[in-house]
Amino acid sequence: MDFWVQFSAQSQAKERVFRAAQYACTLLGYTLQKNGASADFLARIKQLEAHMSLGRKLFRLGNSADALESAKRAIHLSDVVLRFCITVSNLNRAMYFACDNILWAGKSGLLPHMDQEKWSQRSFRYYFFALILNLSRDAYEIRLLMEREACGKRPKGSETRHALRADSSLQHLVLRLKVQLHLLGHVLRSNPPLLVDVVKNACDIFIPLDKLGLYKTNQGFVGLCGLTSSILSILTIVHPWLKLKP
Amino acid sequence: MVLVSPVNHFPHFFHSRAIQHTCMLLSYLLERKADKEMVIMKLKKLESSMRSGRKLFRLGNMVHAMVAARRTTQLPDLVPRLCLTASNLSRVLYFICDTVLWVKSVGLIPDIDKQKWRNWATKCYYYSLLMNLTRDLYEISWRMEQEAQREKARKENSSHCDEQDQDLFSFHAGGLQPFLLLYHTLRKHPPLLLDTMKNLCDLSSPLDQLGIYKTNPGVIGLCGLLSSLVGILTVASPLMKLKH
Repeated sequence: MDFWVQFSAQSQAKERVFRAAQYACTLLGYTLQKNGASADFLARIKQLEAHMSLGRKLFRLGNSADALESAKRAIHLSDVVLRFCITVSNLNRAMYFACDNILWAGKSGLLPHMDQEKWSQRSFRYYFFALILNLSRDAYEIRLLMEREACGKRPKGSETRHALRADSSLQHLVLRLKVQLHLLGHVLRSNPPLLVDVVKNACDIFIPLDKLGLYKTNQGFVGLCGLTSSILSILTIVHPWLKLKP
Repeated sequence: MVLVSPVNHFPHFFHSRAIQHTCMLLSYLLERKADKEMVIMKLKKLESSMRSGRKLFRLGNMVHAMVAARRTTQLPDLVPRLCLTASNLSRVLYFICDTVLWVKSVGLIPDIDKQKWRNWATKCYYYSLLMNLTRDLYEISWRMEQEAQREKARKENSSHCDEQDQDLFSFHAGGLQPFLLLYHTLRKHPPLLLDTMKNLCDLSSPLDQLGIYKTNPGVIGLCGLLSSLVGILTVASPLMKLKH
């Protein structure tokens, strides 16, 4: 019980729980639909999902300012690529939250003649760009760490390369790929925050890909991705060392 | 800025509550005006949207109330211990009723008697406020006693009588003296004043709903707004929060 009190006292913690619940409803609704559940029950699940979505939008009314603050802080980073990626990602997030606020106003009936579909598409576009920049930042970090690891192993590598010259070029390529994958696995295993961030962003990106129509999957897959990324997000709140810094 | 505080999410809710009650107050004030129907409709929609959003985020608060009840059973003084524990247990019951009402409002279980559960929720909230006020009155009374004894000791020990002291305690004798003592006590202990004010303001809504003292949505909105402002103040400046 004390754990819940401490957990929910943190900012965004309850919002993440409701996000997980919302995407669980999406997944549940899709599964039940495939297995032929009653229309009434499906309608109730959809209503619960919509209620949680609207409630979360209300809670997020101040997040635009938070994202702008994060963007301002990221300008002072030393690494150029990180500075660019994180700042622009946070700016996109700020725009996403601004569109989200407008959507909330429309859905609560404050702006009755609003084109909800247009603003929804806009908000997902900004969310998509923010996720692309997050993934670019992750890729950059991975590349840096892989290069560092490879430099450490260079004496052994050169011996392997001399031995490989004798083999055919295709085997050479396959072996190089295996070495790269092994290196990638090693880097991700020894950097849990980076691994969590990569998986989270990779799961999250399927949501705007589906909503914008760029890569349509099904509601079940979207729900599963959203649920996974929400659970990982809750993990980073419970264990703050898992959060990728800066 | 309290709104952007990354530390505690409660400021968001105090803002939601403040906005909800402001809407209630404004729609009551504008009800008489002829051409403000559009504005009133939007205010009512905003108010209901805030209310349903807040209800969603209150879902885990029953655990908070249970932890608080466990904590208050260990207070040293008898009266605050009894009052606050009873108040927190009553809040636990209120949050249980609130969760049931949320389940009904979302439509998960449609055949719930909304009126009955809302009545129970209001009663539990009312009892918890009464317990809080009892504790506040106890604190005020013993602090007033302390203050009176201190003034008496000061008057006896001082070699020369100050003109102002004469005015306050001997000239305005009889009916006014307890009120002046109350005023001085509350001025010296702002957290106690704020807590009493908050509980009194919160009392207006259940009194109206239970039919004990019917007022109008304007008064309820105003009292709710004042209580939310006090809440925001205690979060922004933790010194203002009444310690157990």
